[in-house]
Amino acid sequence: MKMKNITPIIAIAATAVLLLLHTGCSTVNTLEPAQPSAQKQMLSDKRVITDTGLYGRVRPVGVNTALVSTGLLKIQVEVQNLSSSVQAFAYRIEWFDANGMTVSTPTSTWIDRQIQGGESLMLTGIAPTETAKDFRVNFIAR
Amino acid sequence: MKTMLRYCSLAFLLPLLWAGCATAPHVVEGPSRVPTMGISTEDFAAKADEMIQSLVESAVLDKAPKKPAVLVVGRIVNNTSRQYDTDLLAKKIRVALNKSGKAVTDTTGGALSDPDFTLSGKIIESAERYGNLRRVVHTFQLSLANPQGLAVWEDEKRIAKEGEKPAIGF
Repeated sequence: MKMKNITPIIAIAATAVLLLLHTGCSTVNTLEPAQPSAQKQMLSDKRVITDTGLYGRVRPVGVNTALVSTGLLKIQVEVQNLSSSVQAFAYRIEWFDANGMTVSTPTSTWIDRQIQGGESLMLTGIAPTETAKDFRVNFIAR
Repeated sequence: MKTMLRYCSLAFLLPLLWAGCATAPHVVEGPSRVPTMGISTEDFAAKADEMIQSLVESAVLDKAPKKPAVLVVGRIVNNTSRQYDTDLLAKKIRVALNKSGKAVTDTTGGALSDPDFTLSGKIIESAERYGNLRRVVHTFQLSLANPQGLAVWEDEKRIAKEGEKPAIGF
């Protein structure tokens, strides 16, 4: 095949690749106050990373807690997509009492979420009972 | 003869390979890997969890005259194209509220004379199609009403799913 014949093929292939990249990489732009009035009670956390691939793409930024008016513990985990493509993951919150024993709940299940490229989202959970004092959040790639 | 032997051994091996690929029934505890355009058990659990969080956070149950509040779970209408037992949603909410100590629920089937609240709701399905792409949105609506019939808490949660129609078949 002559060089003249190859050039248009390369051009078409490059355009196709560019189009694919363009459609697959729409990321989220965000806006928020420079000096937020809300004061988050951030917790220092301990992380056990077994899936470095997921941790490289979808990373928990931090976790803050508050007591809701009904006396139940509320947690909020901020998760950020470090990649430029949509990522799917599932998470589950486990609750523990003051003795570290599991507090069972009928709704303790893996919850599927999708996060856009560059997006930050909040995962929230409210303790099932007032005895739930502690928690653990698990993440898995989907 | 050799060709005959080859065919025979192939005929013997193929069912073995087929059987070897089958997955035996087993208990699954992780996230579901079976995709469905409908509402899965996990979807019901996730939406029940979101609804309970919303209800508990509103602190409506703590304002009831009786402590814990007496709750009747009324009708949850399934307005979708599939048959679902709406107890998959209602029962989870009942169990969670009972365990939380915020409410006790009626088991008489409506014979209770003076409940503090009645919980009712609806599951709605809306489907759209664009070429082979299909989008199904399930909307969960719940209302908590006081004895005067006034809604003291309401919420709506959605699950949207997209999937492509197979090239062959339905």
